[in-house]
Amino acid sequence: MAEVYNWQLGRKMPYPFPEAHPQKQFAAVFNINRCIGCQTCTGACKATWTFSKGQEYMWWNNVESKPYGGYPQQWDIRILEQLDAAQQAAGTTATWDSTVTGDAAPYGAYNGMTIFEAAPQMQNVLGYLPPDTEWRAPNFYEDTSTAYKGDDLGISTEGASLPEHQTWFFYLQRLCNHCTYPGCLAACPRQAIYKRPEDGIVLIDQARCRGYRKCVEACPYKKSMFRGTTRTSEKCVACYPRVEGADPLSDGVPMETRCMAVCPGKIRMNGLVDIAADGSWVENPKHPLYHLVKVEKVALPLYPQFGTEPNIYYIPPRWAPRPYLRQMFGPGVDEAIARYAAPSRELLAVLQLFRATQKMIFRFEIEAGPLVHEVPVNGKPWQMYNDTVIGFDAKDREVARLSVVEPVHERPTARLNSI
Amino acid sequence: MHKRNIVLFVGIVLGALALLFFNIPIASSQGATLVAARVTEPLPLKDPTAALWQTATPLEVPLSAQAVAAPVLLETNVKAVTARALYNDSQLAILVEWNDTTQNDSMVRVQDFRDAVAVQFPIGDQPLFICMGQVGGNVNIWQWKADWQKDSTAWQDMQTAYPNMNVDQYPFARVAMPAPSEYDDPNYVPAFAANNLFAMPRVSPVENLVAGGYGTLTSQPPAGQIVGGFGAWDNNTWRVIFTRDLATTGADNVSFDPAKLYPIAFAAWDGANGERNGQKSASQWANLQFEGAVAQATQPTSPEVTVTEPAMRIVEPGTPPDTTSTLVVFIILGGLTLLAALVLKARGNWE
Ligand code: SF4
Ligand code: SF4
Ligand code: SF4
Repeated sequence: MAEVYNWQLGRKMPYPFPEAHPQKQFAAVFNINRCIGCQTCTGACKATWTFSKGQEYMWWNNVESKPYGGYPQQWDIRILEQLDAAQQAAGTTATWDSTVTGDAAPYGAYNGMTIFEAAPQMQNVLGYLPPDTEWRAPNFYEDTSTAYKGDDLGISTEGASLPEHQTWFFYLQRLCNHCTYPGCLAACPRQAIYKRPEDGIVLIDQARCRGYRKCVEACPYKKSMFRGTTRTSEKCVACYPRVEGADPLSDGVPMETRCMAVCPGKIRMNGLVDIAADGSWVENPKHPLYHLVKVEKVALPLYPQFGTEPNIYYIPPRWAPRPYLRQMFGPGVDEAIARYAAPSRELLAVLQLFRATQKMIFRFEIEAGPLVHEVPVNGKPWQMYNDTVIGFDAKDREVARLSVVEPVHERPTARLNSI
Repeated sequence: MHKRNIVLFVGIVLGALALLFFNIPIASSQGATLVAARVTEPLPLKDPTAALWQTATPLEVPLSAQAVAAPVLLETNVKAVTARALYNDSQLAILVEWNDTTQNDSMVRVQDFRDAVAVQFPIGDQPLFICMGQVGGNVNIWQWKADWQKDSTAWQDMQTAYPNMNVDQYPFARVAMPAPSEYDDPNYVPAFAANNLFAMPRVSPVENLVAGGYGTLTSQPPAGQIVGGFGAWDNNTWRVIFTRDLATTGADNVSFDPAKLYPIAFAAWDGANGERNGQKSASQWANLQFEGAVAQATQPTSPEVTVTEPAMRIVEPGTPPDTTSTLVVFIILGGLTLLAALVLKARGNWE
């Protein structure tokens, strides 16, 4: 195996192929705090790509209620258990070394095993193949919270309050992470899976796939799926015609994917980030995704310890227990929640850009506005300014302009009763 | 684990080179020969129990788990196959039988893997690596698949695996319950649109393939699917027939001249054990010899001489090397092997 650098783990790790990086990387930030669990994203993907025969159990995008829900069922618990077993067998425990710092190790250094390091002998990746029963009922445990602690009448005596709710659940929105070091690609014995040099999108070549399902077994996020009619595996294609700007609606510039663009909760922002030859993100603080992931560090990778360097980033839910969130998003959770709860002027402005346009935003500018609000947050004073944020597309044309305070429009008396 | 792989690899290469040096042909290290019986009547193309098969001498071929290239399944289920071969003026038929207590002939559900069996021939006259050939040295592979056999009678689809399923509508299809070939817009069945044989109507239960090293296995185009076959499972036994015309065209196909010997190798998969790809049982090279014809062509009076003649000699028979030169050669071989291992390690293939 080759050695590659995984910045999410702050260290090198073995991978079957030597390092090679795309010029740009398909990436997204999901704000879990805002998701209403409506599954519009799920339906949009289904209605675009997976409505045909053999794809009945296929949900390239899904939204599951954590901690109990999962598609396929218990996928994350299963792979965490396997990793844990491998570590116990090796006599190690997985921890994060916070003394390692810097841009190349923003969350410290992970000293546990990745799915590549824990792979069984003569296999490239640790994994398992869920049977059809586990791909059914994709929204099982929807809205199921942890046990409610009430009095005799079932009413909580304390109610719920931050920072951690006693009774909780949250929605986790999932699709293929178009990983930097994809587990699916590492496991395919015939290189039928490839990562595109122009945008880092990971695709399965439908001419070369022979339905071995090594990718289904190896993807720790279980986002490669088997189609029984064609007897090949398929996965999220990142709506590549839209990303390429080839969609008739896209006006020749990269456009956000279907699942991103439809989101009524405005939780998603999708884009392309520039990647340097060494795999790091090219510094670009005025790129909204760079800003959220690298400058503010409010958005974190999902299960970075798997080692695939996933490219969907999550703003963790403010109310969930921190140990659970640290297991899911790594050690950056506490800082991310603190920054999200009391956002900087810039962060608050950038957060307005979510779902303001279908076009991918490559640059933002902020015009300063007046101070409109001052409240204590977590015991400290916090100020809100009515700044205006402007987003620009790939051709640097203005495509979005929003103020932090939503403008109020009053209906004239004559129209009070109109519908 | 990683070090062990290198050691294993070095050991295998050293062993192979030693075999070479001591004039043991890698192309037929078992020395086993499958003799195709010559018949005049039509071959039993779809009858594995036909009496004619009894005229052919069976060859028991031991198999073991493929353990050279990842992914490897350490314990595979098929330990041996029994092969028989018949030929007439125009065709060759090979019957392969093996024990399998489970009949895995569906690949519709995500957890279902198929039973399968394959034969492999080198293309051209050079000796080739047993595992899928090598760069610049292609092998021709014929793979019979249990699900393709069943598809030949009735295409297996979602409604086969899930008889109680219900669906409102499949858009862009010509019929209510479409097979991949029954779509007006094939873009919604991309494997079919990409001419992937897996998604296309079956013309034969046997796929004709070519490979030149690990991970290079490639289906020949639909027009090149020229291998016929038939398989049936009965009483815990698969009996599978491969048939093909002796002569073929195309650079990716082995063409048979009955006057010659051909290296042949076998592989088998037990779907119930999750066996697929390189996670399989495979044999060493054996020989395929055409009864009668070889004798006529080369040794009219003593055909048994040609039977023992290995198909692919690396070194011409001669006096055994003396010990000094053996030592020197071994040192050179060892050095070369380490170099090869280091190159592979640097390329990231091994560790
Ligand atoms: S999420 Fe899974 S399917 Fe997607 S690139 Fe990563 S390993 Fe592959
Ligand atoms: S990016 Fe496109 S293909 Fe992928 S999950 Fe979203 S809608 Fe589906
Ligand atoms: S569409 Fe948006 S709000 Fe609705 S479930 Fe999907 S991510 Fe959540």
